[in-house]
Amino acid sequence: MKIILKFALLASTAIVVFMLDMESKPTWQPQGFQLISEAHAVYGRQRRTRRRGAAVGYAAGSASGAAAASATASTTQQQAATTQPVTTPESGAQPIGTVVSTLPAGCSPVQVGATEYQKCGPDYYRAAFQGNNLVYVTTQP
Amino acid sequence: MSELNLRISPARLASGVFALLVVVSTVVGAQAPAKDPAAVKILQNMTDYVSGLQQFSVHTENTYEDLLDSGQRVDLDIAADVTVRRPNKLHAARTSNLNNQNFFYDGKTLTLYNSSKGVYASQPAPKTVEELLDYAREDLGVIVPASDLAYRGVFDILMQGVTSAVVIGKATIGGVTCDHLAFSRPDIDFQVWVAEGDRPLPCKYVVTDKSTPEQVSTVSVMSNWNLSPGTPDAAFKFIPPEGVQAISFMPVK
Repeated sequence: MKIILKFALLASTAIVVFMLDMESKPTWQPQGFQLISEAHAVYGRQRRTRRRGAAVGYAAGSASGAAAASATASTTQQQAATTQPVTTPESGAQPIGTVVSTLPAGCSPVQVGATEYQKCGPDYYRAAFQGNNLVYVTTQP
Repeated sequence: MSELNLRISPARLASGVFALLVVVSTVVGAQAPAKDPAAVKILQNMTDYVSGLQQFSVHTENTYEDLLDSGQRVDLDIAADVTVRRPNKLHAARTSNLNNQNFFYDGKTLTLYNSSKGVYASQPAPKTVEELLDYAREDLGVIVPASDLAYRGVFDILMQGVTSAVVIGKATIGGVTCDHLAFSRPDIDFQVWVAEGDRPLPCKYVVTDKSTPEQVSTVSVMSNWNLSPGTPDAAFKFIPPEGVQAISFMPVK
């Protein structure tokens, strides 16, 4: 009996471990189904299914265009390796190469040569496409 | 428990487990759904037909099921209009309330133009539509709308790992009678509706993610197929409107 109990316990543990493993699998992108990644390309983020508690409440985001843009914003940050949270300029300069999807408040455009930068406090941001999505990268003008 | 005196020797346990495994595998084996050749054939007819088209334009309405943090499901909609002329022209426009993306490929240059933000980036591009799609995805991380339709050899990609293929029946989609097919793979289920008759074009796709309990899907409905759109060359070439800003693509890491 003890052996059976042990076996059952072991089996159920294995199932739980397996489920946990499933939960932590990387983002779902089956080969050949561009339709999936296509949606990702538009909304700038993966599905939320495995990412509870991640960043933004979409409901707030969908309420208005601007807010929605910021919803997309925080996700792109999650994707970028060099990502930092969106901070206000007062919090100090961002490391070069920081990627954000929405500019902090109070930026003004600055033209240097042919390139337009957004000066936000101590930081200069340059627009770029990260995949399909428009992002802003801190840079040295 | 021990007073029940159910002593089971390791050997008996092992044989019991073995017997159980046999039963389980037999049941699973008996239930393993077959690949109906009729379903596979309709899918292949469709992909062969689309691959053979020299040019086409199509309107797609895509619904992307997503979840709020609370777990509540919401559906997000994106429309895309795509024009392909083989071997080396593509134009696509994706419209949603979040963002408008326009793709131009004229055989030399790929441009992604975000018309809502007034920015674009151009990049020298490979010589054919298919190479372009690979290049865009792999080197730029850019997904061009309806890539599934433009790829040749998409049949093999779709059929990878398929364990079950079924013809569900007929359905009318956008006034067109279509064969409804259902396929299953370990990670996803997908359904395809293919127009009846001598123009076996896809009417609709549903792709369901089975890797999470929520089993969310992406739905794509195709309409307004035009197999001779006669799009002029100029439509595939991007000419920056006044006041838009040139930016660059970040390299894919």
